[in-house]
Amino acid sequence: MGLHQNMLNEPVSRLALREPVLCKPEDTLREAIKQMQQAKLGCVIVVDEQSKPVGMFTENRLTQLLTKGPAPLDDAISTQLDENWPCVQTTDPVVDVLNAMQSANVRFICVCDEQGRVTGLTGQKGLMEFVADHFPGQVMVQRVGCAPYLDREGA
Amino acid sequence: MSPSQQQSDAGEFQDPLEDYSHKTYDDPLEQALADQPVASIQATPFASIPPDTPIQEAIQQLAKLDVACFLVELDGKLVGVFSDRDILDKVALDFEKMKDRPVSDVMTKEPIFVYDTDSSAAVLSVMAVSGYRHVPVLNLDKNIVGIVSPQRVTGFLQQNVEDK
Repeated sequence: MGLHQNMLNEPVSRLALREPVLCKPEDTLREAIKQMQQAKLGCVIVVDEQSKPVGMFTENRLTQLLTKGPAPLDDAISTQLDENWPCVQTTDPVVDVLNAMQSANVRFICVCDEQGRVTGLTGQKGLMEFVADHFPGQVMVQRVGCAPYLDREGA
Repeated sequence: MSPSQQQSDAGEFQDPLEDYSHKTYDDPLEQALADQPVASIQATPFASIPPDTPIQEAIQQLAKLDVACFLVELDGKLVGVFSDRDILDKVALDFEKMKDRPVSDVMTKEPIFVYDTDSSAAVLSVMAVSGYRHVPVLNLDKNIVGIVSPQRVTGFLQQNVEDK
């Protein structure tokens, strides 16, 4: 089956999901930023005691904060959450990730299980890897001709 | 063992770079990605700044323009990329110390780019392999012609999924 049908039929669980950075609502912004730096990820997901997502903080939000001066690093992360943070379920089709990214203009999508608990993170990189699987020649050119694979999702 | 069996056993790995002939795909979305050049993905407008721009000013401009990435340009040539990832990694926890320094101190130097004549699949592969979300687009004279962002790629994919 081709890419088009695979996007419509394959579940989100087929994507190479990333391990998300999880925070508690009372964690500080400083702690969240340090975790994002360590994980080389552009977002943290704030979860409740049942591991259900209550919000997301992204690097885009951080940039907005810094326009007013130094970020309030000692504030609770729960006071600085993004308004748009779409979630998909592992059983949803891959095309739902594409639609969520496009409609909400976001790069990161929270992935939950059927009980609504966070199980992973996907977004642009996961989607691009899914597409690139169908173009092994192009991927080979990148690996041969460019810098070695970087374990990052950003810039 | 016959020669053909030997060939089969030894040929389990097929180098995708061996075949340079134009490939056709049964799937219309794959065909669009392979046939349509990067130029068919929206790459403009793009925002650029000179490398001596103070970090604080660059952050203000990023927020004002509501973009996540600047191309850093010197004499019309690409010298780096300054994005919200650089801010997260190198500025956020040391803002007071960093805010007046030039973006050239923290930008991503020698960024991976694509040519406007490359296939759309090439830019998606760059994103998948390198992990960079924003990929500068240059012409064959190495002049900047645009940037491909996540939003532009998902727009291209969505349009082609809906068209099929």
